[in-house]
Amino acid sequence: MDKRDTSEMVQKGLVRYRQERDWFNFLNGLLAQDPSEESQLSKSITEITVDRYDQIIRCAEEGKPFIAGYFCAAPEIYAAMDLPWYMIMQTPFLAASAPYLLEDIDACERMGLGTDWCTACRLSLYYIEAGLSPPPTAVIGLLHPCDAATVLHQAVVRNKLWRDIPMFCTDPPYFEDERGIGYFANELRRMAAFLEEHTGHKLDIDRLREVCQESNKQYELWIEYSQLRRAVPCPHGWGIGGGQCFAITQVFETGNPRGTQWLRELVANAEKRVREKRGSIPKERIRYFWFDLLPFGWVFEFLPWLETEWGAVMVMEMFGYTPYSPIDTRNEDTMFKGLAKRNLYESPMVRQARGIADYFATDIARVVKDYKIDCVIWPGHMGHKDGAASIGIMKEVCQQLKVPYIHIGLDLFDKRYTTPDECKDKVSKFFSTMGLG
Amino acid sequence: MVTEIGSGILRKFTEATETLVNTELRDWRAQGGKVVGCYCSYVPEEVITAAGFVPFRMRGTGSTGTDLADTCMGSINCSFARHSLDMGLSGRYGFLDGVVWTTSCDHVRRIYDHWRRKIDTPYLRLLSLPKKTTEPQVEWYREEIAMFKETLEKHFGVEITDERLWKAIRLHNEIRGLQRQLYELRRGKSPPITGAETLAVMVAGTAMPREYYGQLLRELLQELSLSDGHPDYRARLMLVGGILDDPAYIGVIEEQGGLVVTDSLCFGSRLMWTDVDEGVSDPVMALARYYIADRPHCPRMFGEQQRRSAFVRNMIREFQVDGVIAERLVFCDYWTGEQFMLGEDLKEEGIPYLKLDREYVQSGVGQLRTRVQAFLETMGR
Repeated sequence: MDKRDTSEMVQKGLVRYRQERDWFNFLNGLLAQDPSEESQLSKSITEITVDRYDQIIRCAEEGKPFIAGYFCAAPEIYAAMDLPWYMIMQTPFLAASAPYLLEDIDACERMGLGTDWCTACRLSLYYIEAGLSPPPTAVIGLLHPCDAATVLHQAVVRNKLWRDIPMFCTDPPYFEDERGIGYFANELRRMAAFLEEHTGHKLDIDRLREVCQESNKQYELWIEYSQLRRAVPCPHGWGIGGGQCFAITQVFETGNPRGTQWLRELVANAEKRVREKRGSIPKERIRYFWFDLLPFGWVFEFLPWLETEWGAVMVMEMFGYTPYSPIDTRNEDTMFKGLAKRNLYESPMVRQARGIADYFATDIARVVKDYKIDCVIWPGHMGHKDGAASIGIMKEVCQQLKVPYIHIGLDLFDKRYTTPDECKDKVSKFFSTMGLG
Repeated sequence: MVTEIGSGILRKFTEATETLVNTELRDWRAQGGKVVGCYCSYVPEEVITAAGFVPFRMRGTGSTGTDLADTCMGSINCSFARHSLDMGLSGRYGFLDGVVWTTSCDHVRRIYDHWRRKIDTPYLRLLSLPKKTTEPQVEWYREEIAMFKETLEKHFGVEITDERLWKAIRLHNEIRGLQRQLYELRRGKSPPITGAETLAVMVAGTAMPREYYGQLLRELLQELSLSDGHPDYRARLMLVGGILDDPAYIGVIEEQGGLVVTDSLCFGSRLMWTDVDEGVSDPVMALARYYIADRPHCPRMFGEQQRRSAFVRNMIREFQVDGVIAERLVFCDYWTGEQFMLGEDLKEEGIPYLKLDREYVQSGVGQLRTRVQAFLETMGR
């Protein structure tokens, strides 16, 4: 491909990316109008998000190295190598509330991508096939937690525009044991060597130690924050909390003091609210555990309704759950093993979906007990086949805990799959039948 | 289309696909022989054979519903997983002494989770199958196979020596060779056996005691070599897809005049197109290398798409294929992606291509007929 082609490819790839950046700027403007401490915390996150978009746009325009990577593929290493990165699945994960999402889903259907394939994955492939993702210097792909992710990255490798971009995927072992940790640590070493080879950036072990130490502080603060959410009433609802902690620690500010400071402010805000016994809504009547990603594509049409109509507060969700342990930074080996453990067995969704189904059971049991949960909602995203195949186990653990359980069956990104009204009806009947609220 | 062979030997193979426990397997059990179920073609069956047992490929043959499995799994799980789990839950797999899985896909790996909680089969093992095919993964799978062998030895009180393992590898390679000969016969203008019958032969090879199967297959090859074949068809087709074990599905395609002359299927050519290397010193390493690096792969394996596509394109040339039908079970992500990628590759080469979705237990026969008829017509056949 000659230089002019590359430049056109970059400019086209940035069109949608700029739109997303502008969407976050717009949200930022809305949040600026609300002086509450919580809105200002959210505003800081959107500013951080915009900064990341700008950074990638600059790299692409100036021909500087940047990569496509994942939260569960050791972002600590990218941070230590000073490599700007974005996710191929960024739009469905971060910008699914953008106004063009449904049009894009229709476009990927027209492209012939199977409709029972996870919408997040097929959307991401559509963006690449349509040339709407900025082509990075190198790609870190993903072979876990689900089949759909593996397929997506195989299709990315095949894509005409991307096939010359080098890709490395870490191979995930299935069981959680020392052998698996050692194997995955070696996969991460190979990933770091791959990045060094293709980006020219070097991994300095002392710098990795600094990043891991700072990220350990971030996780400590996140765990502290999670514990505050055990309070009755819960200090925060669905709008702020775990999702942003995840974005800070695993996406935007991994091992960066700016992120640590944001987490401190979040903890301080939650502490104050707990002391004042101030909940996220005036009267908390139902405490629920939402065991998945949030319905990003239509979040504003459903979750606020649960609060206002039913006094139902999302006390915990999959991405806010904090099973993390600190990384031992004594030496290179302990760090890579710590990163392997964190990224394979602790990071959200990967933890539950990648390995045996026991994680579904143990996480429900832990969260229900620790967070005084009144009911468990398994949203049943159409792409989460391993989760669907675990519903019997989830139901059984809820029965043992004597906590009501509901499986909705929806698409987290496409509200036409099961409409918000249908979801509301289903959840209302569930709450009424179970005598909740 | 039916192949007429005087001895009726073909009927033995089709019977083995139409029932779960075929006559020979029943006799084997009656004589005290053990049978171990395998949930994926990446389970190294040779280890089970070396233990003196019959490896039996798990199916849902004869299942009429999924009521019990539906209490465990959701409606977005594939019908193969639900039917075969249902048969386990209803006790129809009570003849198994053990079941072995690999971490093959999101649906099948969860069958293991339910099986170990709800079904009382004495020996269960799940192998962590890599998703890449390079050296570190070969080594990882070598360890997995070695641990599998150890647990099998310990549980059943048998010793699987290198000698026994090599003997089993030789037997399985021999069967692969015979199956390749069967495919070779289909290259000609008048293939002596239909696609549906070939699938029956292949499925039977995963359900019968292997030495007996090999003997039967030799006899079949001899009879087929004398047969006139099927000269009367509208088009030569290749079938590509996952776990298709029902010859009746191919039968519907062939009723429309499209003769399936080759395939890339879980129960088809991908099982036997290459052999385990018998020229290395460690049989466990030989198996690991075969399953991870050498054999034709399914879409689960990353980094292999080009090789998979080349495998299909070579088959098209070698078997003079006029068009390709890709089938997949609804909700299978791997085959969704593969259908898309292969379709793009074949489009570039101008090869007629039809994508079909199906349920594990055959339904919608009329729809299938219409799709295939239309496909043949668009090919000008």
